[in-house]
Amino acid sequence: MKRRSVLAGLAGAAASWALPAAAEEDFGSKDVIAAAEKEGSLTYYTANFAEVEQEVIKAFNKRFPKIKVAMVRAPGGQLIQRIKTEAAAGKLAADVVNHSDRGLMLELADLFQDYSPPNAKDYRPDALVSPKLWPGVTLGWAIAYNTELVKNPPKTWMDLTKEEYKGKKIGQVVGPSGGTTWTRIMFERQVLGEDYWKKNAALEIALYPSGAPTSDALVRGEISIAPLLYNIIYTKIVEGAPAEAIFAPEGVPIIPYADGITKTSKSPNAARLFMNWRLSKEGQTFAIKSLGNITSLKEPPAFPKGWDPKVIKVWVPKFDEFEKLRASWLEEWNKTYGYRQ
Amino acid sequence: MEVAPPRRWGAPLWVGFLLILLSFLVVYPLLMLTFGALSDSNPVVDGFGKFRPSLHHFLEVMGNENVHLALFNALAACGGGTALAVMIGLSFSWIVVRTNTPFKRFIAGASMIPLFVPPLVAGVAWSILASPKTGLINTVFKWIGLDFRVDFYSMAGLIIVFGIYYAPYIYMFTSSALQNMDPSLEEASEVSGASAFTTLFTVTFPLIMPAILAGCLLSFVVMLGIYGVPAVLGAPANINVLTTYIFKLTAWSPPLYNTAAAVAILLMFVTAILVWAQQRILTGKSFATVAGKAFRPRSLNLGPWRWFTFGLAVVYLFIVVVLPTLALVIAAFRKFLFIKDLNALFDMRAYGWSHFNQVFDNPLTMLSIWNTMKVGVITALIGGALAFAIGYTVNRTHVPGRKAIDLLSTIPVAIPGLVVGVAYLWAWIGLPGGLYGTIWILALAFVARFIPDTVKSLSTSFMQIHKELEEAAWICGRGLLSTVATIVLPLARPGVVASMTLLFVLAIRELGSSLFLYTSDTTVMAVLLLDYYEGGNVGKTAAFSLVQTAILAVLLGLTNWLSRGAAQGSARVG
Repeated sequence: MKRRSVLAGLAGAAASWALPAAAEEDFGSKDVIAAAEKEGSLTYYTANFAEVEQEVIKAFNKRFPKIKVAMVRAPGGQLIQRIKTEAAAGKLAADVVNHSDRGLMLELADLFQDYSPPNAKDYRPDALVSPKLWPGVTLGWAIAYNTELVKNPPKTWMDLTKEEYKGKKIGQVVGPSGGTTWTRIMFERQVLGEDYWKKNAALEIALYPSGAPTSDALVRGEISIAPLLYNIIYTKIVEGAPAEAIFAPEGVPIIPYADGITKTSKSPNAARLFMNWRLSKEGQTFAIKSLGNITSLKEPPAFPKGWDPKVIKVWVPKFDEFEKLRASWLEEWNKTYGYRQ
Repeated sequence: MEVAPPRRWGAPLWVGFLLILLSFLVVYPLLMLTFGALSDSNPVVDGFGKFRPSLHHFLEVMGNENVHLALFNALAACGGGTALAVMIGLSFSWIVVRTNTPFKRFIAGASMIPLFVPPLVAGVAWSILASPKTGLINTVFKWIGLDFRVDFYSMAGLIIVFGIYYAPYIYMFTSSALQNMDPSLEEASEVSGASAFTTLFTVTFPLIMPAILAGCLLSFVVMLGIYGVPAVLGAPANINVLTTYIFKLTAWSPPLYNTAAAVAILLMFVTAILVWAQQRILTGKSFATVAGKAFRPRSLNLGPWRWFTFGLAVVYLFIVVVLPTLALVIAAFRKFLFIKDLNALFDMRAYGWSHFNQVFDNPLTMLSIWNTMKVGVITALIGGALAFAIGYTVNRTHVPGRKAIDLLSTIPVAIPGLVVGVAYLWAWIGLPGGLYGTIWILALAFVARFIPDTVKSLSTSFMQIHKELEEAAWICGRGLLSTVATIVLPLARPGVVASMTLLFVLAIRELGSSLFLYTSDTTVMAVLLLDYYEGGNVGKTAAFSLVQTAILAVLLGLTNWLSRGAAQGSARVG
């Protein structure tokens, strides 16, 4: 049995693949790097999974081994609560914050300093909500299925309204669970049609509170098919789980995160370098290849397996609608799917 | 009397000291919570100056029919669970303490195991065993050819899992009461012609009623605050209880902390009614059964029936310990939990150490274990001492102010962990000095959060020590402190050790308040466990919980061995 995890192995492989190609890349001026190494450490708050972010830190340390990254991880809403309270008490420990909810982060924009990465112009403008906050992480929705149970797998989002998948075969994360799911159900209604929810709900969908138990139920065979964030199912597929995931031609709803450097950062240079690296081509390539992320770079440096750039297009929600429609549409979604909030 | 003068000013000083301590630990965070429930601001962020009192959240919560449903579900699940727990726990303590059932010590030890299992892990284990489509039990039924299927994604599933996991609470309370009971009362009953069965229900159980009620109350309220079990088993069936509802409110974006605080107040209200009811039932009655006369607990000779009681114990242990552990072992060693049929279960190629390797590859694992041990020990020592002080003051003295102490030390039981976490954060982040971000703030939160559990588990031992023993010491010229040290403490020692152990276990499992107070250097096991679970890693979750269980088992074995040594050393004194 291998000592190292598949995830870690993959991370290593991807990093070594990327290193020579990216040697020329701009991670920041020599002064910034020297100052960062002098600071020697930074504190990183994240709402992402700790294990995933640990791999990011490891890959970062391959290039910059002198900077220690201490991580604090909490679920989205709880992390925001902590940041607000710590900041108000003058005890915000974070140098860098990584969060999936752009709306919540925008409310806290005052806590963050002006920052933009060296490759700022390479990013899609619609992935940014503030010039201070950058999509270090971008996730995308795929359709996953259990290969042992599904003989005729779905190929499009519309396939998820087919009669043959009726009877709790499809599982789904509930609409109100957070920004990532809201992005998906907004896409469903705006792109797949006003009546998509109704047709889909008619198949008796099994509902789950978040992505993790959904992916677990899929692998175990409690459900056969589920829309899932690709990164949640990707590592399981790589490890050999009886699952597969496809990207649908109608579009891949993506969730650009909003990451920033705090004004009160005690290691501003280390924080800057860490952000620069994560947003660099090398950092994004690593995230796509090893973690199953998507990217908000205009020209993606790599594509996930089965992603044909000629056919598959990403879908980014319009931010004003993302905020404005949320409450009323979620209420309708709850009614359509019979979900008691 | 030489002790009289110091006690005159000593008592108010002592009560004042306890009240100040409890105000800091309980009242102040609670005020923050109430403040949150009655306004729409964060007290630290907005300051008290911006306090906009409004009943908005409160009325919203009271009028929301989903809250009504969640409340009803919670009462049904916890009520059913408590009833089942009483049946199991009471039978067990009777079997262990009062009969000649073989291998009693082993049964007693093993029946406490469910207490060490974090609720999240219990939920996961039972979802592996008894989920409707792929549960292992159903896979076995299918293989046998049985048409019957179990479905624990249901209210019945919640009740059963609650009942079997919280039976140890009832056992803990009732077994020490049974042990300390003078059998002459039972003998009197039997001499008067009552059968053993009648004696059990008319003399024995009524006599230990305080212990039974205290156990019921505590287990009911603890169930009310559990998140893990309903999150795993209730969610797929869309069964919400108050805690899962509160978790949603705090985890969704935007998080609705003020509404969560209002739901928490509702939860506290339910608990307050129960505590009041319990005290009403118990007032004016004497349950003192440990008097100054020597006795030995009587052991009933069951004859051949002792193998029946042994069989019952074995079945219980199989269901509560063996099955879930087996499920966890399978989940921890199997690469994926997709099990097509029974044959696939025995395909050894699907097993390996990969989840354990991954868990120990993670540098946070060892750090969290070390931190958890530190927090656990600090919490047990401070909390145990505080609980002894409170328990003695409330139960054994008549100082004015003891009722207030009793009340304050009962309140935290009603506040669900997820909300108490934010209350502590709001309350203590502004404290001068470097408390925030250290192990100590976690320990302090645990002490505060578990005062009620510790005090209640100690109180029953106090209630049973007859006043005449202390009076004898006073007559012999001993002072108060000396009496406590030479009479009360030795007699209550098993209770003190038991409640410190309980505190240690509770501290190690506690998640809700950790989540807001830990930092990268002070991360604890419960936080890491949630992270594995939330990451969708059932394998790693299972592997890590096996590690956690093993550590706890070793530590508790050690404590048990140490305290038994101590008890044997002091048993001769009386």
